[in-house]
Amino acid sequence: MITKQDIEHYIAKIPPTPEAVRETLRFLQAGEIPKAAKAASEDRALLSYLKELVNRPVYGFRNEIKDVAQIFMVLGVSGSLQAVYNYLLQVLSPKEWHFFFLNGKSFGDLQAELTVAWNKILSFLDVRDKEIETSITLLPSAVIISEALFNAHKNDVELIRSAKDIDLNTILIRLSGYSLFDIAAMIAKRWEMDEIVAQILKAASGKEVQSLEEEAVRYGKWMHLLLFYIFSKPEYIDAGLNDFLEFHIEFVEDIYEDFTKVMEMES
Amino acid sequence: MRAVVKGGIGVFHPQGFLDGNSASSLLGIDDIEATLRLNVDMILVSLKRVIFFNRNGLDQFVKLFTKVRQQKHIVVGFCDYDKKKFDTIRKFYEKEMVFSLFKDYEIAQLFSNGYNNQDKTVLVYSEDKSQRAAMAIELHDRGHNPIVAQTLQDFLEKKQKSESFDVVIEETYLGDMGQQVAARVTSNAVIYTVGGFLDNEISNKFNLEYHNNSLNVGFRLFIFDAYKVVSMNVHALNFFAKLASSAAEYNATICFVGFNFEKTPPHFKEELEDAGIMFFEKMEDILGNKEVLEELGASSAAVVKNKRVLTKQIVSQLPHFVDAIVETLEMMTNAKAIKEQAKVERINVVKGKELLASSIGFYGDIDGMIVLVFPSTIAKKACELLIGEETDDETLILDSLAELVNIVGGKLKTLLSDAKVNVSITLPRTYNQIDDVLEVIGERKGVQVDLMFANDHFTFFLTR
Repeated sequence: MITKQDIEHYIAKIPPTPEAVRETLRFLQAGEIPKAAKAASEDRALLSYLKELVNRPVYGFRNEIKDVAQIFMVLGVSGSLQAVYNYLLQVLSPKEWHFFFLNGKSFGDLQAELTVAWNKILSFLDVRDKEIETSITLLPSAVIISEALFNAHKNDVELIRSAKDIDLNTILIRLSGYSLFDIAAMIAKRWEMDEIVAQILKAASGKEVQSLEEEAVRYGKWMHLLLFYIFSKPEYIDAGLNDFLEFHIEFVEDIYEDFTKVMEMES
Repeated sequence: MRAVVKGGIGVFHPQGFLDGNSASSLLGIDDIEATLRLNVDMILVSLKRVIFFNRNGLDQFVKLFTKVRQQKHIVVGFCDYDKKKFDTIRKFYEKEMVFSLFKDYEIAQLFSNGYNNQDKTVLVYSEDKSQRAAMAIELHDRGHNPIVAQTLQDFLEKKQKSESFDVVIEETYLGDMGQQVAARVTSNAVIYTVGGFLDNEISNKFNLEYHNNSLNVGFRLFIFDAYKVVSMNVHALNFFAKLASSAAEYNATICFVGFNFEKTPPHFKEELEDAGIMFFEKMEDILGNKEVLEELGASSAAVVKNKRVLTKQIVSQLPHFVDAIVETLEMMTNAKAIKEQAKVERINVVKGKELLASSIGFYGDIDGMIVLVFPSTIAKKACELLIGEETDDETLILDSLAELVNIVGGKLKTLLSDAKVNVSITLPRTYNQIDDVLEVIGERKGVQVDLMFANDHFTFFLTR
């Protein structure tokens, strides 16, 4: 169904970071917002994406924000880095979705919801680290990779899953030896993100975390629970995202109470 | 959401957070109906990967359960939970619980009509006395040996001796159980349990489709466990007489065990005997006697009286059958298949190699049976995707082989449906001895297609 060669072919096709985006990221990393805004202005697609993103209801700004420098100012350095990485992922996403019932808008909503919720979690944990803050932006890449690899095998996947309760990640590992998160980590590397981002992503799968750094596992836990919190929303269940990965309750049990506080959940 | 169907139980596996908004998106009536079409006798929602649920969320499922119960009289409920979840659900619903709670899938299986691994020694405990009794009765009816602990202390003491029990049941609740005629398989005989007063309701409660499927896949002995039958009227008499004459077409035997004719007109027995039904006093008289079992047809598939041959219509669908099996095996093994030859003949397999086999029947616009003969190497490779690791455990391999054949059946159904041919699929059978499958096929001719997978021969045989 999916071979190692298919995956290697897919990885080879992942585009490198465009020059204007690379420049924007470099200036943001250095905390130079005006220069970053100037660099971002060179890429019209990035500009349009940033405007659309920051004006989504989930960000909660009352007035429309149009100017890129203003966008970076209100988001701050970490928020701006997240926004630019979200843009990179949007570029990687398919124009038309077939395996999942998603489209450009709903995928953008998913990115925004994950980012805003992640920032709430990091605020609760009192963490201010650019790499950890931006790590969330790579999480939806698992969805994009699944769409790309499984699209041609939708019926086969359904048949396998009618006989056995196994998720896409497990199917992929058993067929090729690669997990969705291994591939996501390769994307992180291609985009020159820090090693900790790749480690957190691997930990977010909730599987085989023993070999990962303690810090990565700590954040991976929160990410795993957050993922299923978001994927339990009706729009994402309808999109087919609820069961594409296996939820490991035992992995997140110790942070569950704190999570309900952060998300202000009612019992 | 799609259910995983195994052993007559359809299980849905939602994940994450379950509230009033998410539950209706997770499971709808269409999902339930699609599962019912697979002839399940139990529909369950697994809570294994649900970290949060509230009453509104569960209510959505319970509404669906109630609807299904009313229409189909099958068992519905939740499974795979811990004590905290069990207590919460009991608290939510208290005395209005019509659905069942099974601590895990293994326990649910014991109460399923389709489970073919009877004779388990089961330790049962519930705080509720009536629940303890209900569980013991249901388990006994399904061929198990329940041992009931009357107090918590008694239970804890008995539980220490884990080697004395195959399964321990606790934190389980039986709601309204299915009222269909329970069926189980033992020694290659299908045993139905009936009780009370048998009247025209028997035709609603008896799963005729299951019975016909059993005939199609080669079962030849059907036993009605009738110890608990009080009496029967003329409608039930006619039903059983018809059942016996349809079984005769397949050279199958129908027996009644333990039927006491005290309150039934004596001539009913004569009429049933004339229709070909046999009567025995005790189950042991059949199951405990190998010679009687053989004579009644349980150890082999006797040659069908009206020999059925391949029709042009079935042969014209052959490419679909071959596609279904090739695509499935290629998908499961990640290896390419090479078709070697196809011919119409009696099945021809080279003995002496380590072979496993499985069969599945189909019926509807066309009917017949597919037999797949695997070298154990291919069987192991094909099952790796489902099992997750290499294994030499034959039971596990055969179990996964049945799942694999189910996948083939599902694929075949889709391919035929695209060609506007509608069929239903029977339950699969697996064989660890190649002679067993050869005996089932007997002298029947069929289309044999030999395939090569990674230097191993694989045989596909299609017959009626």
